[in-house]
Amino acid sequence: MPDRVHDLSPLPATGGAAPATARHGALTLTENDGLALASLALRRGGAQPAPFGLTLPGPGGWAAQGEISAFWTGPDQWMIEGHRLAGMDFAARVAAEASGASVTEQTDGFAAFEIRSSAGEAPILALLAKLVNIDPANLASGRAARTGLHHMSVFVIRRAPDHLAVAGMRSAAGTLWHVLETAVARLDAAAA
Amino acid sequence: MTRLSGGLIDRSRTLRFSFNGQALTGHPGDTLASALMANGVLLVGRSFKYHRPRGIFTAGSEEPNALVEIGSGARAEPNTRATVVELFDGLQARSQNHVGSLKRDLLAVNDWFSPFFAAGFYYKTFMWPQKFWEKFYEPAIRHAAGLGRLSGEPDPDAYDKGFLHCDLLVIGGGAAGLAAALTAARTGARVILADEDFRLGGRFLAETHPLDDAPATDWIAGAEAELSSLPNLRIMRRTTVYGVFDSGVYGALERVSDHLPGPAKLRQTLWRITARRAVLAAGATERHIPFANNDRPGVMLAGALRAYANRYAVAPAERVAIFTNNDDGHRTALDLLGKDVAVAGVIDSRAGAQAQGDYPLFAGATVTDSKGRHGLRAVEVTANGRAEWLDCGALGVSGGWNPNVHLASHHRGRPVWDEAAQVFLPPPDGPEGLFVAGAAAGHGSTAAALRSGAEAARDALAGLGLDVSLPDLPRTEDAGLNLHPLWHVPGKGRAWVDFQNDVTVKDIALSYLENMRPVEHLKRWTTLGMATDQGKTANVTALAVMAELTGQTIPQTGTTIFRPPYTPVALSALGGGDNGGHFKPRRLTPTHQWAAAQGAVFVEVGQWMRAQYFPRAGESHWRETVDREVLATRKGVGICDVTTLGKVDVQGADAGEFLNRVYANAMGSLKVGMVRYGLMLREDGVVWDDGTCARLADTHYVVTTTTANAGTIYRHMEFCRQCLWPELDVQLISTTDAWAQIAVAGPNARRLLERIVDGFDLSNEAFPFMACASLTICGGLRARLFRISFSGELAYEIAVPARYGNALMARLVEIGADLGATPYGTEALGVMRIEKGHAAGNELNGQTTAQMLGLGRMVSTKKDSIGAVMSRREGLASERRVLVGLEPVDPARPVVAGAHLFADGAEQNTDTDQGWITSGAHSPHLGHAIGLGFLDNGAARMGEMIVAANPLQGQTVKVRVTSPHFIDPEGERLRA
Repeated sequence: MPDRVHDLSPLPATGGAAPATARHGALTLTENDGLALASLALRRGGAQPAPFGLTLPGPGGWAAQGEISAFWTGPDQWMIEGHRLAGMDFAARVAAEASGASVTEQTDGFAAFEIRSSAGEAPILALLAKLVNIDPANLASGRAARTGLHHMSVFVIRRAPDHLAVAGMRSAAGTLWHVLETAVARLDAAAA
Repeated sequence: MTRLSGGLIDRSRTLRFSFNGQALTGHPGDTLASALMANGVLLVGRSFKYHRPRGIFTAGSEEPNALVEIGSGARAEPNTRATVVELFDGLQARSQNHVGSLKRDLLAVNDWFSPFFAAGFYYKTFMWPQKFWEKFYEPAIRHAAGLGRLSGEPDPDAYDKGFLHCDLLVIGGGAAGLAAALTAARTGARVILADEDFRLGGRFLAETHPLDDAPATDWIAGAEAELSSLPNLRIMRRTTVYGVFDSGVYGALERVSDHLPGPAKLRQTLWRITARRAVLAAGATERHIPFANNDRPGVMLAGALRAYANRYAVAPAERVAIFTNNDDGHRTALDLLGKDVAVAGVIDSRAGAQAQGDYPLFAGATVTDSKGRHGLRAVEVTANGRAEWLDCGALGVSGGWNPNVHLASHHRGRPVWDEAAQVFLPPPDGPEGLFVAGAAAGHGSTAAALRSGAEAARDALAGLGLDVSLPDLPRTEDAGLNLHPLWHVPGKGRAWVDFQNDVTVKDIALSYLENMRPVEHLKRWTTLGMATDQGKTANVTALAVMAELTGQTIPQTGTTIFRPPYTPVALSALGGGDNGGHFKPRRLTPTHQWAAAQGAVFVEVGQWMRAQYFPRAGESHWRETVDREVLATRKGVGICDVTTLGKVDVQGADAGEFLNRVYANAMGSLKVGMVRYGLMLREDGVVWDDGTCARLADTHYVVTTTTANAGTIYRHMEFCRQCLWPELDVQLISTTDAWAQIAVAGPNARRLLERIVDGFDLSNEAFPFMACASLTICGGLRARLFRISFSGELAYEIAVPARYGNALMARLVEIGADLGATPYGTEALGVMRIEKGHAAGNELNGQTTAQMLGLGRMVSTKKDSIGAVMSRREGLASERRVLVGLEPVDPARPVVAGAHLFADGAEQNTDTDQGWITSGAHSPHLGHAIGLGFLDNGAARMGEMIVAANPLQGQTVKVRVTSPHFIDPEGERLRA
């Protein structure tokens, strides 16, 4: 359920009137302003829940089911993603699905960027090599990792062979956008 | 000089370029050096110290002489080796290190004064008068010496970085490297083949001997075709692996577009390659044999002469001679003859040498001198005491080949001397996982290099559990060098060992006489092996000369050790590409857009950009703005974005106990719906951080930290949770960015907030000082409200999801106009906290205790916490300095932070020092300057007049000691 209708307008993390988007060659980069996030951590000895019927993934994993997905962030810890659910109190919904666990609202803790390829996984792999020091072989579809990117801590999620997501701290969204957009544009320039 | 036949250049296309403004042409496949040579340009630069004319000496990255400046304006790049610059249309090159024209360099006068520039000259000369050094001698020497000049402008090009991972990294694409790559790639292993050249093949490209009866280029083409078809192999041309770092990490510089005309979108990429194994197939560098005046343009390495003839179809002169101590020199003579270049003779130092073709042979002879002002005209050949002059326009010198062991010793392994081959071989204790093959391992013949490359790949991959079968390798030459050592030709003239640094045999002899004999001293005394080439053509020869002088063997004399980078890497590339505003991450507050639209002046606070103050039209000085913001807050209501303060969400059954241990004061006893000020100590008992802690529910707290310590405190808390007390049920996560937090302070704060909350009772009774609650605002937006005050006023902090922060800020200012709602920045924030006597970063500087802050009682004795015990140790407990307020006796005088405090009339020195001023500001509320400081026995000295001394500015101000609470000391305002 969405929040009661209030009259304050949200601002995308990159600060523009609309979420940022860019396309260079086969790659499209989009600010995912609709992504809701809530952290879920088990209480000591607590049972692992299956919020929204989703089996929570193991270390390094990402799993999705419908509008909900989750990735592992540490022992007994996950980040739950609600796609196109940023407009509501997502943490409350997650908490209701995971009684006894510690749930914290993280939606605006991060700015998420979705990178999709129209030419299969090759451009995604080439981009990964320019962004993060992770062996692409260890970041196959369904994998997620926390790593360093341009002196920032980010989550990189391989949602599909041709789809990568990068989430970093919201306050640095402008820097993260610059880094991603520059890398995507350079790949296109190199391919040209 | 016209072109020779053959070669690997594309004669169907012509490229135009210029050298010192002269229009010249070349072909694709040329380097700048080969194209210059093809245009008859032999003189390309001036030497480092003596400004001697210098030419092209090598055909590779080891080049010591042919350093030129490429490009113009901000893109001008000095000290570029012409031998590795791939020719492109429109290339502009200039010679460097001369005053006046290259041919008539005025500083060539240095050569006449060469006795003054001997080894260590700058340690010995210019000693008197001493004060001349900084102002005169050093600038003069710096002007005269050095090579190229930087543009002095910011680098306009784009650089990039990247990360690659592989099973096997093959360094070098010559015979050994290609064999290794083929062997490994056929197993399916992930292989990267990197080569510094723009064309694969290495020495193959410079040689004429066949592989399986066909030209080597045919075999390379076949190998390249196969390699290109394998998805598990990545070929990286124009990529120099310049260093071996820890844990199988290799640094590589890819010159993405240096070979293309015009500015490109990306110039170079710095790659960090993580390789499980690596094969070093970097080949070998030919060494020369120093003789008198051996530095004239036209004197070159013999193998380079061969490379120019075979690969680039060019010779530096129509008539050349060869000086050698091994069979490889003869190979050069034969190849040149095959290209119809006249060979004036082969001067072979070996007495029993035989001619291998139709050329004059001078067996048992040496070259003892040379002639030619701007280029070689003749060499003096001496045999059996008889000297004769031999006319030639170029001389190829071959003293044997030094394996390129550099990368193998990047982890400090010392190369090992092979007496039979007279070379240094790679150290047995080189970097883990690095296997050396081919000429780099001393396997110099083509057949041996191919074989050893394949075997190295097999051995490397065996360690990864991969079963490798060796490929069928082509039949080819397998000749040895039959080298007889000759390290230099003794004689009277100057014989250069290190061309780039103008180090001669005499300089080494002088070093020996002056007892600078260990190689490390030799290097520093003479500058041997420094600068862009790092002595690739000089170091081993210099060692051998020193060994001869000391009567020791070469290994007894020492070895050189190599460090990254193998060849120069631009700082821009090492910097990773981003500069200026994007050099580091920039964090913006949720209200940044609104503040920018108001014309706020921003200040960097760590990575954050915070609004410092909001100037209005007509305000001419920042103080005017800040005073207005402070007074408006104290009179009406001020609004400030305080999102940057760290926020940590703490949950779990043991959250209270956890916080009891982290905070010096008790948090477990905090009532739900209330906030408490908290103090965190370091392990050593000194104050680390302060902030508020709110209890939202029985098992749910929110900790706030200072902006500066947001990251470190969160990390510390995670350490405590994971490592110190894993038995506690507690979960942590940062929510700093998730919530926009806005301070609303001033007597009208409640009235303003009443206009946005959704039916929430803000009365003092329902929501007293230090209360907190979750609520909704503006018709349903979830929010958190904290009644806390940094300014000393009736104040709240309201938090909403960050995306709504901008709109909330605008709303508060808009609907609060009649209440005097005024945005304020960090300056006003700072003034108000000083007026209130609240400690901040200036006070919490890592040296202050709770006691000094007047907060000693906050360190609870009813429970243990981090730092509590240590805070009671004698050294800290006996600390007498405490926080006081300070105001100038003369209200017109300033109070300057950093000034030290002394008793009035006392001598001012460290013994009489009684403390210091931590913070100072103009208080618009009081109308004069105020300050906070730590003063010896301060609590007992209220009203006393003391002196604040600021010797840096020659300032002494009489100040009166007061309470640190300049405003509302009873706290009535904030409880109103």
